Amino acid sequence: MIELNQASKRYKNGVNALNDINLKIDQGEFVYIIGPTGSGKSTLIKLLDGEEIPSKGTVNVVGINVGKLRHSKVPLYRRNIGVVFQDFRLLPRKTVFENISYALEVIGMRKNSTRLRVREVMNLVGLDDKGNSFPSELSGGQQQRVAIARAIANKPKVLIADEPTGNLDPAMSDEIMSLLEKINREEKTTILMVTHDLPLVNKHKKRTIVLEDGHIVADLQQGGYVQHD
Amino acid sequence: MINKFFRPIKEGFYGVGRHAAMSISSASAVTITLLIISVFLMFSINVQQFTKDIEQTVQIAVMVDYTHESQEQLDAIGIEISNIEGVNEVTFSSKDEEFQAYLDGFDDDQKELFEPFKEDNPMHHAFYVSVDEGSLLKTVADEIQNIEGIASINYGGESAILVINALNSVRTGGAILAIALSLLAIFLIQNTIKLTIFARSDEIAIMRNVGAKNQFIRSPFLIEGIIIGALGAIIPIFISIYGYIYIYKSLGGVIISKMFVMIPPHPFVLQIAVILLGIGMVVGFIGSFFSVNKYLRWKR
Repeated sequence: MIELNQASKRYKNGVNALNDINLKIDQGEFVYIIGPTGSGKSTLIKLLDGEEIPSKGTVNVVGINVGKLRHSKVPLYRRNIGVVFQDFRLLPRKTVFENISYALEVIGMRKNSTRLRVREVMNLVGLDDKGNSFPSELSGGQQQRVAIARAIANKPKVLIADEPTGNLDPAMSDEIMSLLEKINREEKTTILMVTHDLPLVNKHKKRTIVLEDGHIVADLQQGGYVQHD
Repeated sequence: MINKFFRPIKEGFYGVGRHAAMSISSASAVTITLLIISVFLMFSINVQQFTKDIEQTVQIAVMVDYTHESQEQLDAIGIEISNIEGVNEVTFSSKDEEFQAYLDGFDDDQKELFEPFKEDNPMHHAFYVSVDEGSLLKTVADEIQNIEGIASINYGGESAILVINALNSVRTGGAILAIALSLLAIFLIQNTIKLTIFARSDEIAIMRNVGAKNQFIRSPFLIEGIIIGALGAIIPIFISIYGYIYIYKSLGGVIISKMFVMIPPHPFVLQIAVILLGIGMVVGFIGSFFSVNKYLRWKR
């Protein structure tokens, strides 16, 4: 499903964000990626969603060589994956309903099916009554749930979540976690979650990949993580 | 399919409405440049009309020598003149007609004075030659001069050519200014729209994030640009229509002398209105095309 082969990323300013990453994630898995700030987590996500091109090695997602995509083909590739960003990235001038339906209009889904599917995912994330609100009228947790709803609306095979709980309090974080687990279970979506919320990682135990200075320093199948020095 | 066609239009109108302040600032950039373009446009089209009018009235009068008055000789001269490049029309006027025309210039009682000359007509057979373009006047005249059997020619001389040349350069200058201003307008409007779209570069990036193809993102912005261009054209159109009609009326339809007759306002102002609307929409389209493309490339 997701496969990185000796992937490295060196930015133009000379920073080596990722070094020689080898990683394989199978369909239906739920994986944490953790590590301190500057360890290369964000770069890893940018490689996966096609925003950055690996300097060396290959990135394969759902059988597509992401680094080789032309600029105009990147959006087409992104229809296979859903991405949830820490800063939500909702369209400010569109309502909740329009934000979610935009992701479906984009792939040319018919109006009636769009409406049904939007209702369905709004129900899944528990925002049935917020369809006509604008993002600015919602709390952070609610906005994050809209972003998740949008990301899963077109049933992507992979969901990438970049610190989805980064701006939320622990109770809200738990809620988002169980939502993601539900999506993983019910929609069979492969989920890759970047986080530095260690209590959360230790509470909901999953396969955990630890990044440090652009290297994978641990890949714990059993999950749970204890800070080392 | 229908949805595919109407979606950008609908979204374009929404876009203008939901970003009202930005739309107004872009539209006013269009308004100002269109006003200036309109003035130059109406000016140079009028000058073009003056030039045409004058060119049409300037003729070369060709007098045939007394030695070449047989019908065959006249025919030959007529054909030879018509064959000269740049000659538009050749009209023949016999010496009798010339005499009559000369007589018509006098009062009836004075005409009697010329009775004796009727038998021994002193006038020449004449050809009147009009040319395609004022600038050809001199070369055509020179060639006619070389035809055998021509007594003299007359074409208002250097002064006619000078007027026509002057008007021609004014017209060319006006046209160049109008084109230069249009390019400037595109640049200005592109910059304004770029600023308004810059505020929305995040939006464009998000659209790409959720899988929107470039064309899908671009088309509503293009419609928005066209709408803004059309909105910006409204004020210049009304000012041009009423301004031109006002000037036409207060000058009585002529500038300085009867030599420069202005183009009547109807349907001229309506044509100008259509041109201004067209320029506004095209410029809005091009401006947003370049701006959106720039921000589509902003992130991968």
